[in-house]
Amino acid sequence: MAGLGELERRVMDVLWGSMGIPMTGRQVADQLPDRAYTTILTILERLRRKNLVERTTDEKVHRFAATASRETYMAELMVEAFGSAQDRQAVLVRFAEVVSPEEAVVLRQALADLPDDPSGKRR
Amino acid sequence: MNLYVDAGILSALVVVLVWPFSTWLARADWVTRAPRSAVALWHSLGISATLATIGAGLCVATERFHAGFVGGVGELGEGIAGGHPLQGLGLPDALGLTLAADVGVVLVSVVGFVVVRTVLARARHRRLLNLLATPSRNRKGALTIDHPSPVAYCLPGIRPRIVISSGTMRLLDQAELAAVIEHERGHAHERHGLVMLPMTSLTEPFRWIPYARLAPRAVAGLLEMAADDHAARRHAPSSLASALVALSTSSAPPRCAFAAASHGVNARVHRLLGSDRSSKTVAAAAGFLCTVAVAAPLAVLLSS
Repeated sequence: MAGLGELERRVMDVLWGSMGIPMTGRQVADQLPDRAYTTILTILERLRRKNLVERTTDEKVHRFAATASRETYMAELMVEAFGSAQDRQAVLVRFAEVVSPEEAVVLRQALADLPDDPSGKRR
Repeated sequence: MNLYVDAGILSALVVVLVWPFSTWLARADWVTRAPRSAVALWHSLGISATLATIGAGLCVATERFHAGFVGGVGELGEGIAGGHPLQGLGLPDALGLTLAADVGVVLVSVVGFVVVRTVLARARHRRLLNLLATPSRNRKGALTIDHPSPVAYCLPGIRPRIVISSGTMRLLDQAELAAVIEHERGHAHERHGLVMLPMTSLTEPFRWIPYARLAPRAVAGLLEMAADDHAARRHAPSSLASALVALSTSSAPPRCAFAAASHGVNARVHRLLGSDRSSKTVAAAAGFLCTVAVAAPLAVLLSS
């Protein structure tokens, strides 16, 4: 199943790469030559059920486009990663909080004071 | 012994645990030398206070049977099973029963609500990651996202995801990056998402209780230290410390509203650079306190 998720991402990448111009299933499949045309159609249908892709039909030709840009989803992801403390607690554990400039000076000094640490000198 | 006396003792225990003892634990310095045991102690306080509150309510409700706590609860149970739970119930009995039942109901529903909300939020974030993150080529088990902000985090779940942004990879050298990823593996390996769940349930409505205000932040900070320890066992502590400084002092946006927890970063850096990071004695002492905390309400109830 992991392979399917990977393929969904690649199909989305192709649609995002088309600058918002809807693409036919054949056009998407041409960009992913290692996968069969029917597989691509299945994936597009799956993405449509997830509301990630919308389909327009013009003179019996189905065309597919991403419902939102890659940047929109990335912004959503970053809001969750950087969001308010309460949201974040529910979603994930972040490595480090951002400190105030005054504290930054103290922290860098603590690293610089290390006698035998090569990594402390860089910053 | 008179069960009203027991109820009084249990109520006093609850007050001591959620107020002065919690305040003391939140200020204690020794917790940083045994973060995992300290997390267990915070949980033990919550369990103990809950048991004592429910126990106190039941004590008041079962005093009229004059059969001790265990016998009284047995008779109460028979009454409920026999379909006449309220027979012979006086005002104090009813109040006690209400207290015990309310605490139980509130606890189950709030925790249930938060668990569902958290699971849904994590699933939504996982779907976003499926779309945007690519498996790291040279860092096994880590996902990378193409974004200039330096972020590194662990998305908890059955299959936890470790996420590193391209901004982080540019900011850190190889040793620092390896230490950061190991830190996140620590969160994943020790199931910190699960450990944090009950603390997440202590939301706004409970903030008038000192424990509910102090415990979530304290536990979150201690879990970071536990993950630091996990990484420091496998990589140079100084690499992790310098990565921590680099990530927390990077000027890259966004940076609003994060200063609140900066005390944690400071403490962690100094802890990583110090020589006495952890102590088995302190851990054992904290473990002993856990046992005492949970045993105390049970001992009061079963001895009557």
